[in-house]
Amino acid sequence: MKLADAIVACIWIAAAGFALAAEAQALSARQEEGLQAYRAHCRYCHLEHGTGTMMLERRLGKENALLEQRTNLETGYVRAVVRGGLKSMPALTRVEVTDAELDAIAAYLTRTNPQAQR
Amino acid sequence: MHLILPPNVSARTFDRALERFAGVVGQQWVLSSDEDRETYLDAYAIGDGRDHAPAAAVAPQSVEEIQALLRIANEHRIPLWPVSRGKNLGYGAAAPVMSGTVVLDLGRMKRILEVNEKFGYCVIEPGVGFFDLYSHLREHKIPLWMSVPGNAWGSVLGNALERGIGYTPYGDNSSKLCGMEVVLPSGELVRTGMGAMAGAKGWQHYQYGFGPAWDQLFVQSNFGVVTKAGVWLMPEPEATLRVRVQLPKAEDIGWAIDELARLRLRNVIEHPFVFGNYLHDASVFSQREEWYRGPGSIPDEISEKIMARYGIGWWSFGLTLSGYPDAIRAHAQVVRTALEPHLGHELKFESWQRGEPIEKSGAGIPSVLPLQIVNWRGGRGGHIGFSPVMPPDGQLALERFRRVKALYEQHGLDYYTSFTMGHRHINNVNLIIYDRDDKAMTDSARALFNALIADAASQGHGEYRTHISFMDTVAQTFDFNQHALLRLNETVKDALDPNGILAPGKSGIWPRALRNKRA
Repeated sequence: MKLADAIVACIWIAAAGFALAAEAQALSARQEEGLQAYRAHCRYCHLEHGTGTMMLERRLGKENALLEQRTNLETGYVRAVVRGGLKSMPALTRVEVTDAELDAIAAYLTRTNPQAQR
Repeated sequence: MHLILPPNVSARTFDRALERFAGVVGQQWVLSSDEDRETYLDAYAIGDGRDHAPAAAVAPQSVEEIQALLRIANEHRIPLWPVSRGKNLGYGAAAPVMSGTVVLDLGRMKRILEVNEKFGYCVIEPGVGFFDLYSHLREHKIPLWMSVPGNAWGSVLGNALERGIGYTPYGDNSSKLCGMEVVLPSGELVRTGMGAMAGAKGWQHYQYGFGPAWDQLFVQSNFGVVTKAGVWLMPEPEATLRVRVQLPKAEDIGWAIDELARLRLRNVIEHPFVFGNYLHDASVFSQREEWYRGPGSIPDEISEKIMARYGIGWWSFGLTLSGYPDAIRAHAQVVRTALEPHLGHELKFESWQRGEPIEKSGAGIPSVLPLQIVNWRGGRGGHIGFSPVMPPDGQLALERFRRVKALYEQHGLDYYTSFTMGHRHINNVNLIIYDRDDKAMTDSARALFNALIADAASQGHGEYRTHISFMDTVAQTFDFNQHALLRLNETVKDALDPNGILAPGKSGIWPRALRNKRA
């Protein structure tokens, strides 16, 4: 991918109705709430060609790069990363993402990991 | 992270103050757990950032709540550090200068109060982010353009209040503020400019008002808490022409800055732009270890390989001409006449007209892609910016480039720089990128930063903005008449904030009771 193309590809997708295939799945009310919170707070970086996705791809491979397609995320891990930060990702405060929003985001991101559902 | 109390405040008094804060904003919005304190540390600090440890955070949702919080802070002598969204990345993020300060987090105040399409402005609260405002304009199909900085995670007002830069003709963000509402340290509410008249028409139309204009006194300062402000937005132009220019040799900076400064001064080029070196692209799209694993700065022969891989020059910059089609075509010809004889090839402009996909235009579109640079060294990446101001003179820029590159090499760090062009100046933005957990590297980064401050000051170049760890050092370089400006700032500080509760140490300005904290 050329540099300019990559920049165009990842600028402004988050709030413009960008939809992953995963969103076509039926979501529970809590997961739907999590999807909305994820759109509002996480997709600055964690979207296709986003900066968080690029960092994860380098570290964990393409199959683990896009958070919304991961099947191995766990609730406690999502919470720990958001509140503690990880590598180059800053921690997010309870003002930016409330505890209730974080719980919903974790429910959304772990929806395809049956072991994570509690 | 354990609690560090504010200076001269007992644990009992601190707890009492937090209880009273909770009475104003609700317990949920007093953030005082160990985990909460950690989340307000500078995520990109040189080292662990605990030398700027907040004692807590409190998050109001209204002007009245801010006034009440400031009154309580005065009673109990609790220092407060206002942040808009806390994303002043590279400059300290949400963390305060002085450990034990309570962060006043305005992130819940995110109302877009007005957007005026006819006259091209908005009135917003500090928590409104670039993405929020962009979404609002897009969703309501309002043809106004924003000035957006390279990393757009932060607050529109917060960025302007730190003199951030965007890349449209409205890119000097602080200069596009028009009319502020401010809570003074005493809790009193004032409006600046025409807003000082109750019921005024024209608050967002004229910046100065009657008598002294105070707005710049609330920029990069600790004299008040800005609770809302007007921001001028650019009417969408009929068309744009864009061109990206690559300069193959480092020495090209000499002729290029001279030509570009002429075009900029005459408003042929009407916007600030990044005149950056190859590491801007390399650090977004690759990591250092892909190129070089040896000690010291990246050798020049490796730089050549990077440039060859991406098809980029030692320097590159992008220009956008915006306006009516005939006018910008004429300006494009002026640009071509200035640059092509040096380049030896024709410039290829990309054309956009209103109605075509916005991504092809010169509009400011929020992105956080440039944040990728912090991953250049791997590990727990961080960055800090050293950004002196200088005249846009080619020979001066060439000399500056050579001196600063040599300093980076002496300290074994990779030279990342931009000679960002303003109207009559350059913000020479030098980033130092490091792995926060590599002590030798962070020691070098700190030493390099201090060396850069001293070297720039010796040549008459002062910083336009700096990180919380270096505010005193930078303030000391503004030393005309034995630091007369600092004395003036602190005279104002003591008059407005006699208890010294608002952002002690911001921009090197300390209240009387805490001047012993000056570094």
